[in-house]
Amino acid sequence: MSNAPLLELRNISKSYGSVQALTDVSFKAHAGEVIGLVGDNGAGKSTLIKVISGVHAPDKGELLVNGEARHWKSPHDSMEAGIETLYQDSGLAPHLTIGSNIFLGRELRRSGPLGKLGFLDQRAMERKALEELDKVGISVPAGRKTVSDLSGGQRQAVAIGRAVMWAKNVIILDEPTNHLGARQSQEVLNVIRAAREQGLCVLFISHTLPHVLEVCDRIVVLRLGSIVRDDPTSSYTVESLLGTITGLTK
Amino acid sequence: MSVPSPAGAAQVNPAKKGSPIGALVTNQLTILLLVFIALFFYFGSQNSRFFRTGEISSLIVDFSGLVLLAIAETYVIVSGGIDLSVGSTVAIAGVIGAEVMNHYQGHMGQTALLLLGTLICALVGLLVGAINAFLITVVKMVPFVATLITLSAGAGYALVVSGGGDVGNNQPAIIWSSTGWWIFTWLSLIVLAIAIITSIVLHFTRYGRYTFAIGSNDFAARAAGINVKRHIASIYVLSGFLSGLVGMFWFIRIGSGSPTTDATANLEAIACVVIGGVSLTGGMGSVIGTLLGCAILTIVTDGLVFINVPPTWNQVVVGAIIAIAAGLQALRGTRSRR
Repeated sequence: MSNAPLLELRNISKSYGSVQALTDVSFKAHAGEVIGLVGDNGAGKSTLIKVISGVHAPDKGELLVNGEARHWKSPHDSMEAGIETLYQDSGLAPHLTIGSNIFLGRELRRSGPLGKLGFLDQRAMERKALEELDKVGISVPAGRKTVSDLSGGQRQAVAIGRAVMWAKNVIILDEPTNHLGARQSQEVLNVIRAAREQGLCVLFISHTLPHVLEVCDRIVVLRLGSIVRDDPTSSYTVESLLGTITGLTK
Repeated sequence: MSVPSPAGAAQVNPAKKGSPIGALVTNQLTILLLVFIALFFYFGSQNSRFFRTGEISSLIVDFSGLVLLAIAETYVIVSGGIDLSVGSTVAIAGVIGAEVMNHYQGHMGQTALLLLGTLICALVGLLVGAINAFLITVVKMVPFVATLITLSAGAGYALVVSGGGDVGNNQPAIIWSSTGWWIFTWLSLIVLAIAIITSIVLHFTRYGRYTFAIGSNDFAARAAGINVKRHIASIYVLSGFLSGLVGMFWFIRIGSGSPTTDATANLEAIACVVIGGVSLTGGMGSVIGTLLGCAILTIVTDGLVFINVPPTWNQVVVGAIIAIAAGLQALRGTRSRR
């Protein structure tokens, strides 16, 4: 492992027309680190993760992965570089099975000539999906269930499991505990901890501050497109964090 | 259960827990199959001529005339779109193919002539499909409007090219179209082979998987690194291609290119898909359902003649079948989702 940060942003700026969404955003993220990314609506969180995941290109600034400057042409490029993103509420195809979703875009083909023709090895995908989900601490019902058969919590678990399973460097989780019950939220937080154990860097975006304080090593606060505070979690309380987000304190 | 089933892509009706027999009976595909068998024996019991080899053979020919359009429509609808232009594409491809064959008739052998016609029909179909793809993925029209344009323009242009009447008169083609093996004509066998290949591709290959994924959640598909735009474009091109081939199918059957023969084929093709239980909102369905829908539609329209119902009633009956199938699905849907 080199000492270069897994992900580094240098002076990233991005505007949509006359709206300045991000101004000179810089931060470093290391392996095995869970970083909370918080801010009020419109603070620039979504824009920031879209820049990291390659949905939008920044107007200005540099993005480095393992110390190397990178430019994404599409989300596909960032995936290739080991960055997985779980978008809010829309990560899975409900009509497809769990295995098909886990392997979406990375399908396993059959061996031999049939595989060359594009034939899929569905059985292997279903089996490996369950194995891999189990590894990251997610248990889902066996059998070829479609995602629409799962509960909201199970769906979210599968989506996060997919991100953890494929990520080699960074996982971006946008509001992963939204709409989840207390127990299901804890399961999600456990998966985040498991990802940290694997040496991944997790960017955790959430409005649920207790969750952020519970699982993150560091919290980055965005306000009006700029980073206003970036400190270890231990230096925050719910009140001080809330104050920083809203700009009422400090 | 050990057979690799299309379940990986999507299930029309995921088997409920409980007895496997119960699951089989409630499975929509089983119901469709039972309906088909019941209709087959009903028409046969009313008129024993229905069971003759010749009648079954012509049933298969009629099935062949519709099945490729129904499969094309299945791809499009599974991906979350709709293609209203398949019938027009049949007409325009058949007419242009016939004009070209007319031009070269006598200058080359019959086989070469028909192969040339097939090539022209396929190219015309590809072109119409490409226009649909362009309007949808580049101009960003909704598929309904884009294919409404090609439906109208295609049907109109077929009339312009043909002058309103049938083009060409190729008697050897008609004679060949009735030769074959057992209950199959060679023409039907070719169509069925294409139908089987395209069905397998939809359910067992990555191309088919992406089609389902895009129809289910195009954002998820994009986020998974799938080139959604390119894939959707290719589906409309495929639909045009298959429709173009159907234009050649009709040329061989009637010996000429007709601007009007398949004018309502887009409606019948969509009817097959609806009867087969493919969700019009995309992402869900199976090509087996479409094939059964196509078989039911064919046997009903053919069978009416055998129970002395005038063919003018055909479209009314087709409407009734769609109403029953769609009504049952809507009822089942509300029950399982609420």
